[in-house]
Amino acid sequence: MTIQPESGRPVGSVLPGASDVELLRAVASGSEQAFAELRQRYGRAVQRVCRSVAGAEREDCEQEVFARIWRKAALYDPARGSAAAWLLTLARRTALNLGAARSPPLPIEDPPAVGERPAELDAFWLQAGLARLPERERTVIELAYYEDLSETAIARRLRVPLGSVKSWKRRGLNRLATLLGEEAP
Amino acid sequence: MRHGDAWMRLPDLLEDRDDASLLAHVRVCADCQRQLFLLGRLDRLLRDDATANAASRRRRRLLRGPLAAAATLAAAAAILLALMLPQHGRSEAFVLRTASGQSVAQALMGHADARNASLALTARGLPIDHGHMFVLWASDDSSSMQVGRFMVDQTGGCRVRFNLPADHPWNHFWVTRLGKAAAVAAST
Repeated sequence: MTIQPESGRPVGSVLPGASDVELLRAVASGSEQAFAELRQRYGRAVQRVCRSVAGAEREDCEQEVFARIWRKAALYDPARGSAAAWLLTLARRTALNLGAARSPPLPIEDPPAVGERPAELDAFWLQAGLARLPERERTVIELAYYEDLSETAIARRLRVPLGSVKSWKRRGLNRLATLLGEEAP
Repeated sequence: MRHGDAWMRLPDLLEDRDDASLLAHVRVCADCQRQLFLLGRLDRLLRDDATANAASRRRRRLLRGPLAAAATLAAAAAILLALMLPQHGRSEAFVLRTASGQSVAQALMGHADARNASLALTARGLPIDHGHMFVLWASDDSSSMQVGRFMVDQTGGCRVRFNLPADHPWNHFWVTRLGKAAAVAAST
């Protein structure tokens, strides 16, 4: 794997600084840019929920989750829970409905029901947080934590100087920690 | 050390790269203390997610192809074993007290996975007259280890979770101030 020195956020992300709540509000008022940013941010997290719950229906599930977000963003009420919790509930219920079509459908509009599974919400938020990092910072953090590579091994794998790895990891972790402080699920 | 430099290097403290000048700055900088607290929480989130992810990848690999039947049998055997040996899953609580006998923390040991025991530490009223950073230690009859560092709030309280190797019967815990292994703030 190699990494481009100037690689950053994917093209098309126009609202990287907006909070999740601001994005949902903008989506509710019809902003396609906000919807694209939300999809970029939560795409991987939703994909994971769909894969674990809906199985073979995964791709339909992802499409359906984001279609529902587009239609139902106006129902989100920040006073009732974090945006990540609302999105996770919507994703999980959509996936359950698709995965068990024979069962009676679960209401999508119910208040967030993730309080009893904080670890799942943390993981959901984390995937969205990682998606907000510049690519090189995200890659270094993922290699360090998910593949348990040392900084030296990461530098070798990415063919970049060790100093760059250290600096990207520090920056990425600090950026994520700040997001965590601002938008803890 | 300048605040900007210290802020950038705060993640180093997650990896035991202790630096006296960095720690000296953190000791007097509330912003850095808060960021370090968030970094600690983030570090745990990432580690927990990586563990869960690896376990799920292993499960998926196992369940593919001809190994599926064997995996099902193994899972059934594991459940049976767990039912027959319930003591492996039980929780055990330890109370940590200051030298004066005041109860300031509780460590709750539980089962995490095959290799790890989980330890949930809940502190209330740890003395913060010398800083907000502490280190938790554990020992059994033959060895001891540093479990991890944690930060408390203005009331000396926090809730934090660690993993320990499950192959030791950890039965003694104590808390010291960061960088002062001899300064025991509380112990079981």
